[in-house]
Amino acid sequence: MRVRTPLGSAGRRPVGRRTLLGSTAVLGASAALAGCGGPLGAGLVGSEVAPGTLVFWNLFGGGDGGRMQDMEKVYAKAHGGSSSLQATTFAWGNPYYSKVTLATVGNQPPDVAVAHLTRAKPLWDGGILDPISEDDLARVGLKTSDFNEKAWSAQVTDGKNIAIPLDTHPFVMFFNHDVMDKAGLLESDGSLTDLSGVETFESALEEIKGVTGSEALTSANVSETATPWRLFWSLYNQYEDATPFLSDGGAKITVDEDIYTDITARLQKWVEKGWLNRGIDYAGSQTQMATGKAGIYLQGEWEISTFQSIEGLKFGMAPIPTLFDRPAAQADSHTFILPKKDRTPEQLTQALGFIKSMLTESMTWAEGGHVPAYLPTYDSAEYKKLTPQSDYASAAENAYYDDAAWYGGSGSTFEATVGAQLALLQQGSTTPEGALSAIRGQLQTYLDTPSPL
Amino acid sequence: MTTTTATTPGAGRAGRSGVGGAISAAAPPARSSGAGISGRTFTIVTWIVLVVFAVIWLIPSLFALKTSLSENGVAALGANEILSHWYPTLHSYSTLFGAGDIWNWYLASAITGILTTVLTVVFASMAAFALSRMHFRGRTTVMLMILLGIMIPSQVLIVPIFEMLGAANLLNTYWAVIFPQVPAVISVFIFKQFFDGIPRELEEAARIDGAGLWKIYWSVIMPLSRPVIAAVAILTFVGVWNNLLLPLFVLTNPNLMTIPVGLATVQGSFGQRFADIQAGAILAALPLVLLYLVFQRQIVEGVAGTGLKG
Amino acid sequence: MTSATTTPNAPSAASADAPARRSGRGGRPSDRGTGPGAWLFLAPFGIFYLAFLLGPTIWMFVASFFNTSLVHRGLGSFAGLDNYVEMFSRADFWSSLWHTLQFTIYTVPPLVILAFVFAVLTNRLQRGQWFFRLAFFLPFILPSATISLIWVFIFTPATGLFASVQSLLGFTPGSGILADPKSAMVGIAIATVWWTIGFNFILYLAGLQDIPRELYEAAAVDGASTWQQIRHVTIPLLRRTTTLVILLQIIASLKIFDQVYLMTNGGPGISTQVSLGLITGTAFTDNRIGAASAASVLLFIIIVAIAVIREIVERVAARRDQEA
Repeated sequence: MRVRTPLGSAGRRPVGRRTLLGSTAVLGASAALAGCGGPLGAGLVGSEVAPGTLVFWNLFGGGDGGRMQDMEKVYAKAHGGSSSLQATTFAWGNPYYSKVTLATVGNQPPDVAVAHLTRAKPLWDGGILDPISEDDLARVGLKTSDFNEKAWSAQVTDGKNIAIPLDTHPFVMFFNHDVMDKAGLLESDGSLTDLSGVETFESALEEIKGVTGSEALTSANVSETATPWRLFWSLYNQYEDATPFLSDGGAKITVDEDIYTDITARLQKWVEKGWLNRGIDYAGSQTQMATGKAGIYLQGEWEISTFQSIEGLKFGMAPIPTLFDRPAAQADSHTFILPKKDRTPEQLTQALGFIKSMLTESMTWAEGGHVPAYLPTYDSAEYKKLTPQSDYASAAENAYYDDAAWYGGSGSTFEATVGAQLALLQQGSTTPEGALSAIRGQLQTYLDTPSPL
Repeated sequence: MTTTTATTPGAGRAGRSGVGGAISAAAPPARSSGAGISGRTFTIVTWIVLVVFAVIWLIPSLFALKTSLSENGVAALGANEILSHWYPTLHSYSTLFGAGDIWNWYLASAITGILTTVLTVVFASMAAFALSRMHFRGRTTVMLMILLGIMIPSQVLIVPIFEMLGAANLLNTYWAVIFPQVPAVISVFIFKQFFDGIPRELEEAARIDGAGLWKIYWSVIMPLSRPVIAAVAILTFVGVWNNLLLPLFVLTNPNLMTIPVGLATVQGSFGQRFADIQAGAILAALPLVLLYLVFQRQIVEGVAGTGLKG
Repeated sequence: MTSATTTPNAPSAASADAPARRSGRGGRPSDRGTGPGAWLFLAPFGIFYLAFLLGPTIWMFVASFFNTSLVHRGLGSFAGLDNYVEMFSRADFWSSLWHTLQFTIYTVPPLVILAFVFAVLTNRLQRGQWFFRLAFFLPFILPSATISLIWVFIFTPATGLFASVQSLLGFTPGSGILADPKSAMVGIAIATVWWTIGFNFILYLAGLQDIPRELYEAAAVDGASTWQQIRHVTIPLLRRTTTLVILLQIIASLKIFDQVYLMTNGGPGISTQVSLGLITGTAFTDNRIGAASAASVLLFIIIVAIAVIREIVERVAARRDQEA
């Protein structure tokens, strides 16, 4: 790997920057400002805004955002009040990762940021991240064995730790208790009967359809591209001989066409049979399940809060049933990353201490549905008692992350492109072959382009 | 009738500043005689049409204002609820002012706006003075460069400008927003057009007294140019305040963001706080609305005179 | 000059015009100010011009031939024409240009026709002009962030103001104008027309002030009705303003970014993605400065070509005016 100078030159920065700015501070920016902190000094002469304050960026809105704020408050309280932490929330997806990159290239990255595990890899390839060694972890009393093995090994890149996982958030199954009960799919203790095996599952869908009078299963596919991808990737990886969708860092499409065709044709069949919705948007897909017009709803576990807030709704959660050879569910992890910057040992300890503090608050995070990657929380009696969260926790063991690609990962161009075609498939407006050739066509530019990272 | 020979686009546009002046000095309606009944009917129709459209045009702003004066809980329920809750609350405004970010954003917008304006007015008028009053080798080339510069769409240069600011280590400073907006070539044109119209006799006295070029520029020309300075200054300030593209990419530190960028990118974490969002939208616009109310005439004349857009 | 009706305290425009009228044509460069003095006056602006206008332009052309990356210093490996070949073969590049054209088609007619009507009508009023100037022009000086936040909220599906108005008029509000790929650009166009009409309105008002009153009086003497006066005097004489307005609007459309970024961020899918959105996405999300530079060059060429056309049109019109 090359040494990246815009970032790597940080050590030389103070001199160059001061000289240049000094010569340009002709109007009003008096030398006195160099000494003063705050945004004015930072904006005019590049001084630090608030030395000593930990700067943290995240992309959480909604319920996750609220819980993250609660966890931040715990940290701030223990570290001398609100001035010890400046947390900023940005809009989710590409714009967020773009901001993290630009800020690092622009020499003012946050001390700690949140990133999806699948997005941390391209950031690492671009030289945006500082690696985290075992010694670094030991500074704040953390070690590799504190983490869910699947999530931990997924973040290791080029033999380095590039991100510290906070959770795993697998694609799971939500079900309406009443509907499943009427369909005879509940055990006496209220848990689901075993739905493994494609025949079992399909006959269950038929039963559910009989109860709801409409669909059995809803999964958003209108104005929504991520969900169709998550559904496909979960089922695809249940085949033992599933190959990666993308290989060589995104230079080749290597999807197994037989499995692809089998799954997409099966989903289309489900639509034909009236088991799966033809076209429904994100909110609509939830309403169907919540109002008993569908028995099963597929989405990431974070939607738990949505259903918990609906009064009178009795619902349960479970891993996606194993229809084929092995259990599998599409997943990603929220992780903490250290954007590349010059850090004194104290600053490094401060940043890692913040991460440690957030990890120990994992229980708050788990309430939002995410499966804690931090084992002291995951293994705690308190988490085991937390239902329905603990009912699907095993899905994290069978997590399948998106393939590494410079244009891949959660909320990426890859997901949007492939997901859009899969959504059309489900709507019946394209064929499996048509969708695959459209995917190939639209990704061609990215396949042909050497990674800019 | 003012007649300005439009030999260059700048001259053509700047030439209209005289016309712009006449707008405020509203000429009585052209229809002054012999219009008869059709004229009267026309006047009534005129009023009806204008009032209807004016109301349509005012509604979005007023609705935003009303929303900003509602509770977040009410705003989340939609338009009907917002309009049926009569009593206003300043809750959203106090939240925003209490949170602190907005003060930093105002600071960034004010500093970048003022400094860009000062630099643009001084540097562009100096260049225009040279082009208007001096004879020097290479003048034609400079005029050509200026002509060329007027056609360069600076927005399209966002990528190279970002790279150059990065190379100069200026990203995440106010200068990253200020410097690229200083070379607004149109300003040179506007100044030159105006200076060309100032009679030479006015400088002669100073010249005889032995005044140098700088003195003539600063003590004779500039004081006579107050109207054009005001127009250029106000339009520059408004342009910088409203710029989104450049600060969006060169300012990523939330403490240093200008107000449009801060509002557009930094999100509150607790759900959708619609009243707060509308209050933010209003606060971003408020200084410009005040500016408009004070400098209505200069703004309208400036826009009409320069054809500055986007 | 007639007296100022609205802002008596404003510095008089007459004083601004007066010298211009007295001296008539622009002054010749003085014989005395020569040599290095001139360059000292030009230097401050010149440095900024070179560093932030000409320099980036050249750099953009150069980088378009390289695999330049956002996160690596230097130009990267030589790419030849690859970046251009790529852009020409990319469906989303062409669709971004198409969306720009679509936006132009949606916005130009209302922006020209409504602005013209508003201006002609406002210009006839004896009183209250200030009010209509405020109503129609004020949105133009608002930040794009403000107008986007306002309109996104108005377009909130089901419960927004737009949906309420739709229900009142007997339409069924759908899933939201910005959420549907077929209508999202219409939503952006509506917000834009509201936002920028004031600019054209002011240009037309200025153009109307240019028309000598004697022409109307002559027409009235000939028995022309108000409508005939507008048709045979106003419209032909504002033709030049209309050309200017349309060309400026086309150029502005090519550079559209703010409303799209803020209201839909190019979505749903890429159904509203425009050229500058594609460029900034390629540069700052895909980290591909080289490819983004190639796209910038292509957009640059299109805009400059239209600016040149505008220049020619203006000159021809000016010459015709002189001859007339």
